[in-house]
Amino acid sequence: MPLHDIRYQHWDGVHLGLWARRLVIARNGVTACLQTKGLRHLVGICWMTGLAVTAILFLIGQLLVADSIVVQWAGNLNPQLQGIVHMLTSWLEQHPEISVRTTQNLLFHYFCIYLMRVSIFVLGIAMPFLITRDLASNAIIIYSSKAVSRWDYLLGKFSTAFGLMAVTWLGPVCAAWFMSNLLAPDWRFFWHSRAALGHALFYGVSSMAILSLLALGVSAISTKEKSTPAFWYIWWILGGVIAPIARHTQPWLRHLSFSYNLDQIALAIFQPGEDLKIAQDNIPLLGNLLRNIRPETMAALNSPALWGSIFALVLMLVLAGWVISKRVKPE
Amino acid sequence: MPPPLVIETHALTKLFGQQRALDGVNLQVGPGAIGLLGPNGAGKSTFMKCLLQLQPITSGSAKLLGREVGREGREIRKRVGYTPEQDCHIPAMVGCEYVTYCAQLCGLPFRAARQRAHEMLDFVGMGQERYRKIDTYSTGMKQRLKLAQAIVHDPGIVFLDEPTNGLDPKGQAQILELVQSLWRTYGISVVLSSHLLQDVDRICEQIIIIARGRVLVHDTLENLKARKRGAAEVVVADGHRELQAACARQQWQCELLPNGHVKVEHKSDSLNPLLRLLDELKLAPLEIIPSPNALEETFVQALEISHATA
Repeated sequence: MPLHDIRYQHWDGVHLGLWARRLVIARNGVTACLQTKGLRHLVGICWMTGLAVTAILFLIGQLLVADSIVVQWAGNLNPQLQGIVHMLTSWLEQHPEISVRTTQNLLFHYFCIYLMRVSIFVLGIAMPFLITRDLASNAIIIYSSKAVSRWDYLLGKFSTAFGLMAVTWLGPVCAAWFMSNLLAPDWRFFWHSRAALGHALFYGVSSMAILSLLALGVSAISTKEKSTPAFWYIWWILGGVIAPIARHTQPWLRHLSFSYNLDQIALAIFQPGEDLKIAQDNIPLLGNLLRNIRPETMAALNSPALWGSIFALVLMLVLAGWVISKRVKPE
Repeated sequence: MPPPLVIETHALTKLFGQQRALDGVNLQVGPGAIGLLGPNGAGKSTFMKCLLQLQPITSGSAKLLGREVGREGREIRKRVGYTPEQDCHIPAMVGCEYVTYCAQLCGLPFRAARQRAHEMLDFVGMGQERYRKIDTYSTGMKQRLKLAQAIVHDPGIVFLDEPTNGLDPKGQAQILELVQSLWRTYGISVVLSSHLLQDVDRICEQIIIIARGRVLVHDTLENLKARKRGAAEVVVADGHRELQAACARQQWQCELLPNGHVKVEHKSDSLNPLLRLLDELKLAPLEIIPSPNALEETFVQALEISHATA
C-alpha cells in the first residue's frame, strides 16, 4: 500500500511558456542521442581535437615571444634553428595582426571543416532520434495532442540536431579559441584573432542550421530506424565520391554533395587563399615554402563556387521541407 | 445558471476526398461523462480528432471548453487530455520519464511534472514497472500509461478512444472504474468513444450516437432509458415458471434469458405492477434491472433509421 495519497490531485501552478516547451523537446532529443555510446565517443573525439588545436595555437603563440620556451628548446636542438626561430619571432613580433589573424584563420578553417565532417557522421547516428522513431511509434500523435503545434515540434527537433552539433562543433571551436588566446603571451591575441572567431561562428551556425534541416528531411523519409541513417550516409559518401570525379567532366554534379557545397561556403567565408598569399608575401622563410602550393589548388581556394553551392543548398532545403511537410502529420 | 458547454459544434464537416466523415455535426454538450457511440467507421474518432485539431476541419466551427478550435489550438490542448486508440508512446523511454515529458509538453515545470507523473502513475495503479522501458509493457500497462499521460496536466476534459481495447475483464473493470471516478469524484469531463455498449452504459451520463458522420442521438442515458420503459429483467433464485405463467395471464411478453434472468415487458412507466405481481407470487427477486437493453435498443434503432434514410 502506498505511503502517500494516491487520489487524483488537481494542479493549479503556472504553465511554462512556449519556448520552454520547445526547449523540452530539444533537450529530450539531445539527452536521448547522448545515451548512445558511439555518439558519446565522437563527442569526446571532437573535444580532444579542440584540445589539440589549443595546444598548437599555444605553441604558435610562444613563437611571438623572444624568450619563450619554444625558442630555448629550438636552441637546445640546434643553434642554427634558434637563429631562424629568432628571425621569425622578431618579424612576427612586428606584425602580430598578420601572424595571429592569418594563422588562426587558417587553422580554424581546417578545424571547422574537420568538425563538420564529424558532425555529419554524428547526425547519421542521431537520425532515428529526430523524426524517424516518432513516425514509427505514432508518438507524433502524442505531441500533437499536447500544448505544442507541429511547428513547435519541428522547431524542437531542429534544435535537437542543432544542439547536438553545438556539442560536437561549435563548443570545441569556441573553447579552443578562448583557451588558446587565454594561454597566449599577449591579451592582444583576443583582438587580432577576432576575424577567425567571427568566420568560425558565421560558418558554423549557418552550416549547422542547413545540416539540421537536411537531417530532419532525411529523418522523415522513412519509419525504419536503419533506413534513414543509411540514406544519410549514402548521400554523403556518394556526394564525396562524385565531387572529385565530376570536377573535369560535369562540374555541376559536384553540387549534389552537400558537404562539397558547405566546403565552398567555408572557402568563401574564411578566404584561406588570401591568407596564404599574405603568408607567401610577408613571412620570411616560411613564405617561400608556401610558394610550392600548386596553382590549381590556389585557384580553387581563391574562387570557390559560392553561388552554385548556395543554389544547390537552397534546393536541398526546399526538398527537405517538402518531405517534412508531407510526412510529419498527426495522421 | 446552466454549466458552460464543454463541446459546441456548428455544421462541423470533415471530408476525406469525396467521402464525408463528418456531415454537418451540430452539438451542444455540457460537462459530464459523455459516451460516443457508433459502428466502425461512423466518424467517432474523426470527430474527436477534429476537436483536438489532429485533423483539419473542412467546414463549420467547433468550440472546446469555450475556446475556438483552430484559433486557440495550444491553449485548448493545455486543458485537454487524449488517449488514442493505438499505441503511440515514445520508444526507449521508461514509463515515469514518458509521463513527466508529456506533462512538460503541456507546460508544467520539471519538478511539478515529475511529481505529477508519479501521482498519476499511482492513481492509475502502476507500481515499480514505471521504471521499466515502455517497450516491455503489457497491453494493460500501456493502457494505464496512456491514461496517466492524458490526465497528468490536470485537463478539464479527457477524450478516451477505446480505452479498454485489448484488456482482460479485470483490467477493463479497473480502467472503467478510474475513468468513472474522473468525472464523478474529480469533476473532469470524459468523452468515451467505444463500440462496447456496456462500457458506456456503466460510466456515461450523456450519450451521443454517430453513424455515417451524423449525430443520430444526443441525450442523457436517463432519458434514453425512460423512452424504453416498460421492460425489466428480473433475477430470481427459483420460481421462473410461475413468473412466466403469471406474466402470460397479465398478457405481458415474458422470456427466459440464457443467463437465467427473466425478461418481462410490463408495458408500464413504473415498476409497480411488476412488483405487485412478484408480491402476489411470493417471489423475492434478487435484482430487478429496469430498461435493461435501452442503450442497445436505441443504438440499433438509430442505426436502422440511418440505414433506411441513407
